[in-house]
Amino acid sequence: MSVRRETVGVRREKGLAIGLLLFGGFLSIAMTAAAQEEDLATVSAALAPRAEVLIIARCSVCHSPDLVAQQRLPRARWEATVEKMKHWGAEISKDEADVLVRYLSARYHPGAPDHLPPLESEVRQAEPFTQDSVAEGPVTGVAARGAGIFEHNCQACHGTNAIGGHGPKLAKNPILKHEDLFWETVLHGRGPMPAWGSVLSHQEIADVHAWLSTR
Amino acid sequence: MTLSRRVLLERLLQGLGVAAIVNRHVPVVQAAGEELARNESGPLTIRVTRPFDAETPVREFRPFLTPNHRFFVRSHFGPPPPDAISEANWTLRVGGLVERSQEFRLKDLRQMEVVTITAVVQCSGNGRAFHRPKVPGVQWERGAVGNAEWTGVRLRDLLAKAGVQASARHVQLQGADRPVVASVPLFIRSIPLEKALHPDTVLAYEMNGRPLPLLHGAPLRVITPGWMADSCMKWLTEITVQAEESKGYYMQTAYRMPAIPVEPGAAASGKSIPVEAMVVKSLIAAPQEGETVKSGPVTIQGMAWSGEAKVVKVEVSLDEGKTWEPARLVGEDRPYAWRQWQLIWKAKTAGTFTILCRATDARGEQQPAMTPWNPSGFLWNGWDRVSVTVTA
Ligand code: HEC
Ligand code: HEC
Repeated sequence: MSVRRETVGVRREKGLAIGLLLFGGFLSIAMTAAAQEEDLATVSAALAPRAEVLIIARCSVCHSPDLVAQQRLPRARWEATVEKMKHWGAEISKDEADVLVRYLSARYHPGAPDHLPPLESEVRQAEPFTQDSVAEGPVTGVAARGAGIFEHNCQACHGTNAIGGHGPKLAKNPILKHEDLFWETVLHGRGPMPAWGSVLSHQEIADVHAWLSTR
Repeated sequence: MTLSRRVLLERLLQGLGVAAIVNRHVPVVQAAGEELARNESGPLTIRVTRPFDAETPVREFRPFLTPNHRFFVRSHFGPPPPDAISEANWTLRVGGLVERSQEFRLKDLRQMEVVTITAVVQCSGNGRAFHRPKVPGVQWERGAVGNAEWTGVRLRDLLAKAGVQASARHVQLQGADRPVVASVPLFIRSIPLEKALHPDTVLAYEMNGRPLPLLHGAPLRVITPGWMADSCMKWLTEITVQAEESKGYYMQTAYRMPAIPVEPGAAASGKSIPVEAMVVKSLIAAPQEGETVKSGPVTIQGMAWSGEAKVVKVEVSLDEGKTWEPARLVGEDRPYAWRQWQLIWKAKTAGTFTILCRATDARGEQQPAMTPWNPSGFLWNGWDRVSVTVTA
């Protein structure tokens, strides 16, 4: 990531130099703009793995992410928007809010085209971000810890005490007995249910499972 | 690991970018209580999947009345669970500064005098996508508007049963819809008492002669003819008469305009006023954007409406607004409905042409080329614009 940033920096300086030398102001402005565009693309590609997971897991609790992707806003308005969402109940830390603001203002800035290319290529280029399923080995859940994790991550959709809401009732849900199915659903998501594999650790998911089993 | 990457990627593609969804025919993320998602060729163009927000493609505006299944859909939290508003459970409470608090069931309302009004209902943010610089919010283009026949009872008849106290100035409206997280402000709005007592302000239980559909506010919604839809509360359950405007985000922060216009791009500050009456506006329903027509007579048609005044003139320009030709007003002429118009254009030469239209109302208000910028992108009414290709 730092390597990429440097390359862009060099390119921008070169652009400026040639512009000033050959054609003066106009060209230099055009080339700076192009370099900035490239810079933004690099930033958004680098942040995409973390930011996209947050958008799916944290920002999609109250509305689908298409509401986010259709905006084209300057950084100050993204800051205000993310702050407003946090105030309304989006479960994001200061650090996560910062990643989101940087990502959103790099990808969905006022000059970005109406129809952005899909993220596919960016995601492919980016570093791996999911935790390897086998790396952590088997874990034993602790119900007492699961309550808080459920409240912050699942309650908005599955209701207080897991009695159901926008998402199905999880208390006494037969899926709790089919651990493989439970893990598959929670790690990878299903339809409107977000994937949690890269948001929660296996220990945390095991804790939620343990807590749900006591409901 | 490979699998989870692929699955997550699919999820990203589903969720991000309406364009990606439409072009790739990836199934759109669905959730309980939402209508089936539709793509560009369907009766509605989806803006937000959940809560479901969708607009009518302009080509569907040729009929005078917009059919229910093509009428734009907008809410903040999506419809309430159907059993909360079932005939057995639903009640409407009228309280606050009244002599006698009241509770109504649907059967009580059906026994009251019935009124039917044809009225345009338009989202305050319709056309938001055209403001520059761009502003946050659902990026509505041209179709968050519709014209329907609304049948129900007068709000003032209910208020009369309750007896409004002398200190009353505003009427607060609240529906049964709730955010998924309780820390999100409720959608609560108020309208001035004068509008609430207006004989044309109705609580509608029918839309175009059919029971009000769930997505449009079943069993009862407010219709404030001539006003933007932020006052047209859906799933209505609470009416509170009060001395002040409602408090809270959706009345004091959202749905407001600066009292004095601000510089484009400036942040909202200073005194603001609620978005109320509609402004004069017109749309071209045919031909459609990008359509190819044969040279010879081409029928240009559309509709025009204004808040509380009648549309008296619609004009068309084929030279970027240098000259304007009056269109003929046709069809039904009802107070709060839109007026249809048409103009036969003799397209003689082949090439690409831009058709513009603008309307003028009885107060002399005329559609501007561009609407003055405001921080939330409300009340867009710039000239409508369609490009067509004429072939020999
Ligand atoms: C606790 C619920 C909740 C969460 C979580 C949430 N939002 Fe929102 N968001 C809302 C509501 C409510 C609206 C207003 C919706 C409407 O008007 O239809 C909204 C609207 C928006 C809008 C449209 C602009 C605006 O100001 O109305 C954007 C952009 C947005 N949210 C981004 C985000 C992002 C980014 C996140 C994640 C950090 C997020 N939201 C998380 C509730 C939430
Ligand atoms: C944004 C809303 C949302 C959040 C947040 C959410 N879920 Fe879900 N969840 C759903 C929906 C909707 C479904 C149903 C999916 C379907 O229809 O296929 C679901 C399904 C499930 C299922 C499968 C239930 C069954 O009967 O098959 C499990 C298990 C589950 N969620 C666990 C969790 C856990 C654990 C969390 C928190 C870490 C969580 N969910 C957070 C919306 C959500």
